[in-house]
Amino acid sequence: MSLFKKKRRIVIQPSPSSTNETKNIVGSNSLKENLKENLQHIKNTLGESADIIIREIKIGNEGRIKVGIIYTDGLSNSEALQNFIMETLMIDIKQTDIENNLTADSPTLTLLKNFALTVGELTDVSDFDQLFTSLLSGDVIVLIDSFSSGYIIGNKFWQERGVMEPTAQTVIRGPREGFSENLRVNTALVRRIIKDPNLWMISKEVGRRTKTNIAIMYIEGVADENVVDEVRNRIGRIDIDGILESANIEEFIQDSQFTLFPTVFNTERPDTVAAALLEGRIAILVDGTPFVLIVPALFIQFFQSSEDYYQRAVMASLIRLLRFIAFGISILMPALYISLITFHHEIIPSALLVSLAAQREGVPFPAFVEAIIMEITFEILREAGLRMPRAIGSAMSIVGAFVIGTAAVEAGIISAAMVIVVSITAISSFVSPTYDIAIAGRIVRFIFMGLAASFGLYGILIVLIALVLHLCSLSSFGVPYMSPFAPFNAAGLKDSLIRFPIWNMLKRPSYISKNSSKQRPTKVNFKKSSHSKRSQNE
Amino acid sequence: MNRLIIRFIGIMFISLLLTGCWDKREINELAIATAISIDQIDDEFHVSAQVVIPTELSKQGGGTGSSPVTLYQASGVSVNEAIRKLTLVAPRTIYLGHLQVVVISEELAKEGILPIVDFLSRGWGHRPDFYLIVSKEMDARDILKVQTSLEKIPSSELFNILHSSEANYSSTLAATFNKMKVNLDREGKEGVLTGVQIIGDRTKGPMNENVQTIDPEAKIKFGELAVFKGDKLIGWLNDKESRGYNGITNQVNSTIGVVSCPDGGKVSLDFEKFNSKIKSKKVSSNPEIEIQVDIVADIGEVSCNIDLTKQETVKMLEKEMEKVVKSDMQDTIKTVQQNFQSDIFGFGAAIHKQNPKEWKNLKENWDEVFAELPVNIKVDLRISHFGSLINPVSGVTSK
Repeated sequence: MSLFKKKRRIVIQPSPSSTNETKNIVGSNSLKENLKENLQHIKNTLGESADIIIREIKIGNEGRIKVGIIYTDGLSNSEALQNFIMETLMIDIKQTDIENNLTADSPTLTLLKNFALTVGELTDVSDFDQLFTSLLSGDVIVLIDSFSSGYIIGNKFWQERGVMEPTAQTVIRGPREGFSENLRVNTALVRRIIKDPNLWMISKEVGRRTKTNIAIMYIEGVADENVVDEVRNRIGRIDIDGILESANIEEFIQDSQFTLFPTVFNTERPDTVAAALLEGRIAILVDGTPFVLIVPALFIQFFQSSEDYYQRAVMASLIRLLRFIAFGISILMPALYISLITFHHEIIPSALLVSLAAQREGVPFPAFVEAIIMEITFEILREAGLRMPRAIGSAMSIVGAFVIGTAAVEAGIISAAMVIVVSITAISSFVSPTYDIAIAGRIVRFIFMGLAASFGLYGILIVLIALVLHLCSLSSFGVPYMSPFAPFNAAGLKDSLIRFPIWNMLKRPSYISKNSSKQRPTKVNFKKSSHSKRSQNE
Repeated sequence: MNRLIIRFIGIMFISLLLTGCWDKREINELAIATAISIDQIDDEFHVSAQVVIPTELSKQGGGTGSSPVTLYQASGVSVNEAIRKLTLVAPRTIYLGHLQVVVISEELAKEGILPIVDFLSRGWGHRPDFYLIVSKEMDARDILKVQTSLEKIPSSELFNILHSSEANYSSTLAATFNKMKVNLDREGKEGVLTGVQIIGDRTKGPMNENVQTIDPEAKIKFGELAVFKGDKLIGWLNDKESRGYNGITNQVNSTIGVVSCPDGGKVSLDFEKFNSKIKSKKVSSNPEIEIQVDIVADIGEVSCNIDLTKQETVKMLEKEMEKVVKSDMQDTIKTVQQNFQSDIFGFGAAIHKQNPKEWKNLKENWDEVFAELPVNIKVDLRISHFGSLINPVSGVTSK
């Protein structure tokens, strides 16, 4: 069956063949010496957009030096612009005798840079490409007449959401901060947790038009260098107009395109990212979204909540087992119900069979159709609840509860048992700590249902085998998706179905961190506490 | 790749057409028969199936107050034919997968139950763990016609009475179909089935009124074991002998034994642990059977003036009880040896197991040997618990 053949082929995106298109957009010519010409060019290129502010001023005692200040309104800090750029240039500079200091060695340009502009981030610019990128990112451009170069002054500032509690991945115990839309804030959140010089960051810009900033974070010496290179390459190959969310990146870099299961993990929790980095994984932060990608991602990772590590090991293990059971229920329950009720009446206890038969009495549809109706109704309700305005929410939940529950049963369209099955399935599908695996389970559930309706338990088994084969054929950045189960890794099992105590898991997972499965420097010795040791030494 | 996927999907669809859910049966397309009875009428098998009416039993609808089960009947030259003919009167396929009880009439059992056993074991649609019972001195179908009150489904009542009496009194034998089948195949052990009867007014059984009164007119009663030889019923054991039989064959879960006190009154003992073992022995070329019985009993009831704080009294009670158990068993064996010559105890099987060579010689005329077979019974009884009292209440002691 070649369908299940290992497909580790990476989808290669056409490399950016030429920058012709980009050239047409902004024009590549370098800055002119004439300020007027430069400003005119900027105006023309940007179509005289209203939010581009161009200010021409004259500085110096005599006002002979013409300076142009260009910035994007709304993206620049207007207060700082006022205090540190305009004020220095127009007022402070008059107090110093700038024109007297003009020599051949230090023209106005360097002089301004060295003496006048009281700002931190300042870079030279000599071509329009760079100028436009910076201008549109919120920086202030300072151009001086009769020089073919100018300055970019870092002055980005815009309204943004602060660091708030993550909404999609909540915990009871654990840090409450979540990533926000700002890349810099996000990298800072991670760096605040890991204060290691080996925490490295590669910056990239993706998207021809959006020019989205991307940061690839990893711990040098812990992460597998090959994987880092692979991530860098795959991101480098992306050629697209815009990256709006990390999901766009995910789709480009994932290993297998034809699978329901996610091979890239995403999180909005800095602590989850930090934990992944410490294990040797690689984080991809994308500007404009609180969702950070983590690779390589394994199947079990989607069942591990960060809270598992903040709770007592026994509790965490039980809860994790519960999640796996719930996942099993969410993909199998309707299929099992269908197959039992249409094929294998023998294995239902007699009393239950009679009760089920009574419920189905008068139900016009076969169990499969019944299940499909209910599942689709539920999916519609779920989707509607997600998309519609909050204010209508309560109205819909009432209608939904009626449709899916009482009314359908009382009207004799659906049997009561089916309502229970669908409800349990629905609730179970929300147990997974990550949304992605729950979606995958939802689709698989329908496949199971179809086969169960035609072949009974036999069909379920066939799909189950196919599913396991498929899962085993997947890999994420070279790491088999089903590790540590297949290929088997005994040490890895300590953090799989159950979670061993932290002091028992001091080694990094060897299937992720290839070049460093050494013990971490901290090791807890329970027999001799650090206190007693110290007193001995003294 | 794409072509492969298309091909694969194509194959999947074609295979769906091929199978077409051929054995798909919705649960509400079935007539769930929980009990069937088999009678013999004019050389034909008369089969009655007790089919549950789910809506009458459901808690939701409440039902219409009519009978929770219905009986479909048909006759045929074979059991299978009769079952097929049931569809002439029943609107749905008769589904035997949840069979709990099969009642065979005494009349038919005397003719032989082989055809029934064959039919029931050949069909793969039903589980072999239902109980086989024999209706004593009445038609089997009448048993299925009695409305019962505690268990709404009469077959469940049959099933549960058999179950609870076997567990608590041990005069009945909850013989599953499988057990009986094994006995038919096995050398040196004959089968035994429990008999069932209707007591009271048989004609009132099917009526709804039967369950509307506190004391129903017609009731089901189990008791007395039917002795088989081969597949034919040859006679009945009474209550005492039935318990003796269960004791010998180590099928007692819990039962009761009563001994008389030296100066009047009775003491009854609850047998909490009961274990018996059949061993074959060879004494001067003749086979001999030895039965070792170990009982742990609690005192259940004392109605005479004895001092249980004294060890001698307890010893005396133990001795007395041992005697009673032993004599009961001996009586049972004697009755079976003299009246039936059917080795229901499995003495032959014990010999077969322990001395296979000797069994070869004995096999031929085992019935005669069995009739004369000497059996030694050793009973070892120990009283372990006295209950919440030690000595009888003062009123009794002071007499």
